[in-house]
Amino acid sequence: MVRLASALLLVLLLAGWEVHCRVAGVSALVVPLPSAVLRTLWDGLAGGYLLPHLWVTTAEMGMGLAAGCTIGFLAGVLLAEVPVLRRLFYPYILASQVVPKLALGPLFIVWFGFGMTSTVVITALICFFPLLENTMTGLQQVDPNKRELFRMLRATRLQTLLRLKIPSGLPVILAGLRVAVVLALVGAVVGEFIGGRQGLGASIIAAQGMMDSTMMFALFIVITVLGMIVYQAAAGLERWLLRRPWKG
Amino acid sequence: MSFVSIEQAGYGVPSGGTILDRIDWTIGEGEFHALVGRSGCGKTTLLKLVAGLLAPSTGTVRIQGEPVRGPGAQVGFVFQAPTLLDWRTVLDNLLLPVSLTRRPQPADRRKAEELLDLVGLTGLEGRFPSQLSGGQQSRVALARALVTEPPLLLLDEPFAALDAITREELQDDLLKLCARHRTTVLFVTHDIAEAVYLADRVAVMEGGHLRHALPVPLARPRGRDVRYSPRFNALCLELRHAMDGKPDRPALERAS
Ligand SMILES: Nc1ncnc2c1ncn2[C@@H]1O[C@H](COP(=O)(O)OP(=O)(O)OP(=O)(O)O)[C@@H](O)[C@H]1O
Ligand SMILES: [Mg+2]
Repeated sequence: MVRLASALLLVLLLAGWEVHCRVAGVSALVVPLPSAVLRTLWDGLAGGYLLPHLWVTTAEMGMGLAAGCTIGFLAGVLLAEVPVLRRLFYPYILASQVVPKLALGPLFIVWFGFGMTSTVVITALICFFPLLENTMTGLQQVDPNKRELFRMLRATRLQTLLRLKIPSGLPVILAGLRVAVVLALVGAVVGEFIGGRQGLGASIIAAQGMMDSTMMFALFIVITVLGMIVYQAAAGLERWLLRRPWKG
Repeated sequence: MSFVSIEQAGYGVPSGGTILDRIDWTIGEGEFHALVGRSGCGKTTLLKLVAGLLAPSTGTVRIQGEPVRGPGAQVGFVFQAPTLLDWRTVLDNLLLPVSLTRRPQPADRRKAEELLDLVGLTGLEGRFPSQLSGGQQSRVALARALVTEPPLLLLDEPFAALDAITREELQDDLLKLCARHRTTVLFVTHDIAEAVYLADRVAVMEGGHLRHALPVPLARPRGRDVRYSPRFNALCLELRHAMDGKPDRPALERAS
């Protein structure tokens, strides 16, 4: 019922927008007509113009996410397990949190050139931090009683890590993954703004160059839908891994 | 020969001072000893010293003559809280002590299921700890400590969360099992009747000291009629007096 109402609200809003633009004669350059945006979107998808860009952005996001999360997770495990390393690196990790990673984009273009590589590297860098942070927190938050149990059962360090710390920290780690997924899309799109030849972000810049607001809105919709899909996928993965009947 | 001997063992923390003060106690092989005392008197701490989870700051603890340097394979420990892995089934939790050393065999599985029957949880092996009541969880924790049949069992108020009837049943089962395997036991409890019913000897702790030792000369095997015998009640009363700190120099000397 509420879902229906909110869908209705969207339709009303779009209709209001359409009518206002037509009646007041707002320039399509400033605010395009919703109907025009939808037509452009349809043409772009059906005509195949948008598909390669969608594919490039998805690939960049996927590769960056995979690399950043893997490295972030492993680094988090290492720092949680080796206190010396943690004490050594933690001030730097805290400091690097406030560095706007996207601002490093131009530097990556110098290093890796225009194109996919720089965008993947930026995306990976952005995904790295939430995983690192949450893995460290998750592994260190283990119930002291359970630690004592594993000590009593003379579990090795590796057993304690694999069979106690990672499973019990998994909810926190997966929450980090959910944050990383959202950031990955931002990273990929903004990375393409800076140094992309292809992809949804690069297409926005291209559309801007041609003052094509309608196309920019269409791309905006594609990016939003892509973000919703990957977020739902991450949330689904989380539910699946944390489902109570959990065989691990 | 004594299986466990605690010699002048003390434990202190940098901030809080002395928690245990020069404890002396020995447990013979196959004996069942109970440790009673008010909350916060140091019972859990003493148990952890014996387990090797804590290192004594003075004195030593020996098991079969060897000084304890860390958790040993021959010791089973039931913690005060059930401490089950919430992401594992009851069966996996039971088999944890086995699966940390080797791959569980069908025989281990049968053993685990027998123990589940024993603690009255037949058919719950597929459940997760969150789907059990508090008392059921503590019974799983008890069964987990029994699965490797350790020669020394240390139990920290394992029956505190149970109703009187289940508790009596489990007390009888525990006594039966320990008699069968000649297990040496140190059992912490708040419950005076439980201590008298289970133990050959009861130690009374107070503020980090062992105040009193009470031998329980009741014949074994003990059954339901023992619980209501005048002899039993007299011993409970004696223990109660000892915990109140009434007696008395002679008793103190008996303890040390
Ligand atoms: N890590 C610690 N640091 C400082 N004091 C501690 C620490 N652990 C325990 N204590 C103190 O040592 C005393 C003994 O604790 P212990 O857990 O052995 O009590 P207990 O006899 O098992 O009590 P209960 O019956 O409530 O379980 C308590 O007063 C407690 O406050
Ligand atoms: Mg205690």
